Amino acid sequence: MVNPVLLIVVPLALAFAVPLFGLISKKIVKFLPVVALLFNLIVSVMLLPKVMEQPIHVFIGGFSPPFCINLVAGPIGILFSVLIALVGLLVSVYALGYIKEGAIEKYHILYLLLITGATGVVLTGDIFNLFVFFEILCISSYSLVAYLGNKAGIESAVKYLLQGALGSSLILLGIGLLYAKYGTLNMADLAGNIHSIKSFSNFLPLVLLVTGLGVEAAIFPLNAWLPDAHSSAPSSISAILSGIAIEVGLYAVVRVVFTIFGASSFLVFLLFLGVLTLLIGEMSAFSQNNIKRMFAYSSIGQIGLILFALSIATPDGVSAGFFQLISHTLAKALLFLAVGYMIYRTGSMDISSLEGMGKKMPYTSLAFTIGVLSLVGMPPFIGFPSKLMIIRAALLKQETLFTVLVVLVLIATVIEGAYFFRVIQAIYFRGEKSEKKREGAPLSALIPLFIFVGLIVVIGVYPKLVTNFLDSTASELLNRLDYIKGVIG
Amino acid sequence: MRRIIAIALLAIIVMGISLAVREIPFGKTDTKVGEYYLNEGREETGAANIVTSVVVNYRGFDTLGEIAVLFTAAIGLGAVFGSRKKRKVAEEVEKSSLIVYTGCRFLFPVILLVGAYIFIYGHLTPGGGFQGGAVVASAFLLMYLTCRGKRVRDKSNKVVESLGGLIFVGMGLVGLVIGKGFLFNFLPKGEFLTLFSAGIIPIIYIAIGFKVGAELAGVLDNLIEESK
Repeated sequence: MVNPVLLIVVPLALAFAVPLFGLISKKIVKFLPVVALLFNLIVSVMLLPKVMEQPIHVFIGGFSPPFCINLVAGPIGILFSVLIALVGLLVSVYALGYIKEGAIEKYHILYLLLITGATGVVLTGDIFNLFVFFEILCISSYSLVAYLGNKAGIESAVKYLLQGALGSSLILLGIGLLYAKYGTLNMADLAGNIHSIKSFSNFLPLVLLVTGLGVEAAIFPLNAWLPDAHSSAPSSISAILSGIAIEVGLYAVVRVVFTIFGASSFLVFLLFLGVLTLLIGEMSAFSQNNIKRMFAYSSIGQIGLILFALSIATPDGVSAGFFQLISHTLAKALLFLAVGYMIYRTGSMDISSLEGMGKKMPYTSLAFTIGVLSLVGMPPFIGFPSKLMIIRAALLKQETLFTVLVVLVLIATVIEGAYFFRVIQAIYFRGEKSEKKREGAPLSALIPLFIFVGLIVVIGVYPKLVTNFLDSTASELLNRLDYIKGVIG
Repeated sequence: MRRIIAIALLAIIVMGISLAVREIPFGKTDTKVGEYYLNEGREETGAANIVTSVVVNYRGFDTLGEIAVLFTAAIGLGAVFGSRKKRKVAEEVEKSSLIVYTGCRFLFPVILLVGAYIFIYGHLTPGGGFQGGAVVASAFLLMYLTCRGKRVRDKSNKVVESLGGLIFVGMGLVGLVIGKGFLFNFLPKGEFLTLFSAGIIPIIYIAIGFKVGAELAGVLDNLIEESK
């Protein structure tokens, strides 16, 4: 059986090795991320059925927890790892043709490190180790946002860096307080010691951790960096930031709240925060004229929706939340990748410049449209069953509060539909019809795009492909005691 | 008005933090894992420096992450500076005086030696890969300040940086291959308090020392390039 630690170590080792490969040949460097992610995808998929029955615990260094650092490859960890590897692989194939200028070698190193960080965060069972991988994820994101080296990129990267660094210091402070109180950093061991968040010395670390991690997860009001960062990064990076980075941030928030603190009384707060983030994200997206900024705000909205679903904290709700997370990741990565070449052709991010794209780039436009429809929640795409599950889970609670919140969620979906159809209208029904110059995206872009399209359609038609796995993720998150027992014994 | 709100918020935060911190027994010696490391560290890892045994062995995975963090930061800096257009200015650099130049040439190897000592003896005396690496990099800083025009060789720097990281990962993987888990200390512990003790710890620390030294020297190189 393959050891899950390889999911972290292989991309990291390849990142270290990139300069050496670069000395041999400049051309092979860009294939290294593809190789690493292909490996990760295969290993994660192989592990998936096993961890659904029994999580795999890895004790690093051969010591026993809580004295070593441990990895918990449970249903959530491996599901995330599959998602990271899948999206990462497709984006790295896209980048083969897309990234042509700048410090290409460094781009691929940073990309591998970003993947390492994200995978490390979702697999680790140690709160300080989580912080370390979180830093790798964040720092590589900052530099990749500034990759193009233009004014907008640098400015938004600095903005992102300042907010992220503040968040990181809060996380570190929270971890320090926990260590001072409990003398351990193992998440299961901490969870075993924390029985309530009523005492201030437990509540403060919770607040610090949620605030610090919330910056990366882009929860309102900590998301001021996101629209700038996601819109001025290269499109391949926007895709990975929107599709992976913020979701991993959200995972960390949820892991802290549910597993370490078992803070069920805190969830009502997150419930409201989720709906608020959703409404603000969608309303801001509505008034955008820049296509990438519109997507960025829509990501904020979607994160709010996922947070809302997870905070329902019933098996149905959590499953629905993870389902929505998968559906958002696939659709949003697809959209950023598709729009990347559209912007490349027109040289502008204005929605008006997309007019007539339906003729000029028919395949890209088709993929783009499917992504949009899925995000809005149209059948037969993946967005439909995931949104339906959220609504169902909320209504099953049979409380007035949830009914009101569901109405708000539906309103947000209507707003979402309105601004996305504006874009579709621009692509297909506006602009001069006489223009016949076709100039599509290259194959290295179309292949990943249509794999995304395929996944969106197939899972949309057979949601069971994913929902089968979601039940055990929900039980991992909700059964805190099982998690503790699994590690500490 | 805004100021009053800010002050009120600040007061609430300060009160919350002080209430929380009062409940936390800072500075007590019997923290759970800390106690264990102090009592068992010597036996289990063979390193005389307990801090090193924690950093490289018990929590070696964190350290692997830390060097990745430093690597990310250094590469990120290079990527951002590298992508900006280089201003090509024919530079007239004034040579530093003979005394400064000679002093630098004399000190340069000595500083390298101190740095190397700090990371090679990391498992015995205070210090280690990060500290030693930083000292090594300071030698290059001195070089940049005095021997103007001299540069770190980009290629060899890259090779050292990569190999340092790969040796660390490789050491970890050997443990995995022999079936004891990643980063398992598979080498004999040796005689306590001698240079050849503590198994893989000194090897990893030397690799880290080289890597950190090369990386920080690279960062300096980037910054000096930019300041021109």
